[in-house]
Amino acid sequence: MENAKTLQFEKPSFFTRLKGMLGVDFYRLFHTPLYFIFLAIAAIIPALVSMGAMGEGETAGMFTNAWQIIAADSPLYIISNMGEYANMNMVFIFGGIMVSIFIGHDYRSGYVKQLFTTHAKKEDYMISKTLVSAFSMVCMCFTYLIGGMIAGAATGLPFAINAGSFLCAILGKVIMSLGWASLYTFINIIFRRKFGISIALCFVLGTGIPVIGAAALVGNSVALNIFLYGSSVYACLSANFLSVLVCLACSLAWAVVYNVLGSVLLYRRDVY
Amino acid sequence: MNAIEIRNLTKTFGEKRAVDSLNMTVPEGAIYGFIGENGSGKSTTEKLICGLIQPSGGEIKLWGKEHRDPEMRAKIGVLIEAPGCFPNYTVWNNMKLQAANLGIKNENEEIRRVLHLVRMDGAASNKFKNCSLGMKQRIGIAFALLGNPKLLVLDEPINGLDADGMRIMREILTDLSRRGVTVLISSHILGELEKIATHYGIIRGGKMLKEMTAEQLNADCPTYVALKTDEIEKTRDILQRAFGRADIDEQTGEIRVYNANAEDTAKYLFGNFGIAVSEIRTAKISLEEYYINLMQEERK
Repeated sequence: MENAKTLQFEKPSFFTRLKGMLGVDFYRLFHTPLYFIFLAIAAIIPALVSMGAMGEGETAGMFTNAWQIIAADSPLYIISNMGEYANMNMVFIFGGIMVSIFIGHDYRSGYVKQLFTTHAKKEDYMISKTLVSAFSMVCMCFTYLIGGMIAGAATGLPFAINAGSFLCAILGKVIMSLGWASLYTFINIIFRRKFGISIALCFVLGTGIPVIGAAALVGNSVALNIFLYGSSVYACLSANFLSVLVCLACSLAWAVVYNVLGSVLLYRRDVY
Repeated sequence: MNAIEIRNLTKTFGEKRAVDSLNMTVPEGAIYGFIGENGSGKSTTEKLICGLIQPSGGEIKLWGKEHRDPEMRAKIGVLIEAPGCFPNYTVWNNMKLQAANLGIKNENEEIRRVLHLVRMDGAASNKFKNCSLGMKQRIGIAFALLGNPKLLVLDEPINGLDADGMRIMREILTDLSRRGVTVLISSHILGELEKIATHYGIIRGGKMLKEMTAEQLNADCPTYVALKTDEIEKTRDILQRAFGRADIDEQTGEIRVYNANAEDTAKYLFGNFGIAVSEIRTAKISLEEYYINLMQEERK
């Protein structure tokens, strides 16, 4: 106990609390082998997609340009072939699984119990998890991009593209990571230790099936951009600055909504 | 000032009232032994105090302030069930993470201090999953001690500890109490609790049955004379008539006579009935016996 008197104990501000929590979460992320496995998966997916496109059968010839492995030509919510669907948006499916396992482990190990007996606030937890999950998905987007470029080169397809549109498409998808991360964090807050359910639900929502279903009813409407999947599709190879703004507005809005809902839920429910 | 003050605390899980209008007062600097059967509501009460679960009714105050107040939370060290550690990380890294969450500046020094306190200096580089149950409990205590808390809430902390571990725990808690740290400790090992607790709370069915100080418990626990003879049944009947209450302890084969003097009892038996006493001693009812008797009365 001799050192106890010299211990400095500060009254934590929001930024101090968040800094500590982010430090913990980033440490955990970089020490989770699963994160690197998912980065590798994100890099391999384009190769698998392009292999399917190069083979014979229904998927043969679904790409006419190498960049279509990264993003669709135009924002089509109604899917008519796999080429319009199989692109960087798939990162958000696998990202959901990764986030579920990452947060689920917080509950399984009892870390959440340990955390919430300190001065940590529930909103800090939501923000920290959202940011770290978004970061992990952004990294997956970039490994997908690298994998997609290698796979595109292997297919021998042309790389002709409007560089500005391409940058807007990538930027849009990167920005959408924040919204998706907040959704997945929220889902995991709901189901806590039952992260099998979280994984399943994240998978279903990540595939965009509800939005694709809605598109089948209302048509290829831009109104679908209010949903995370809609805006993710909107970030396509014909994207422009407006597309980036749409992605930013959608992603930020949902991030705020899910963070507020998640915090309220954490405050009202038993944590552990 | 009271470190913990609970009024009419209630917690329901569906139809079940796990904690039922519980009142509890833990004075500052006390070692409060929280006793109860399995499922009596001890852990639930502790989780409520720590803010891990939300009360259905009533209020919890820590040093007179609402228990959710972050300033109050920063003063609490907790070990509920098992420590919340990542199994694949080393003990040191797990503690670093908790220190970061607590906002401790000189964390390396602090981690070394608490590991030394629980005699786990050598285990810092062990992966948590490779630690024994007793080691995990001690690490849990070290977790709770991080940041020099003013209140320790410990749920069954001595489970899984060996004799030496229990002794170390006793020393740590007594030392902390001397320095003004309040300790709320639940345990089934009442013999150990009796050695350190200054206050007690006995809970049953989510309700506080009794709260008392160690002095009050001492006064409530009668002394008795325990003796052995060859004619147990006959001696018991004689002593029952003479002193009002005499029981046979099935485990030891002793007869217990309450409100009696050892020498007088032996003389009385030999002088009046020719019964020779082979062994005789004076003892006091332990906390465990007191608790068992209380529970038996409650069941009736």
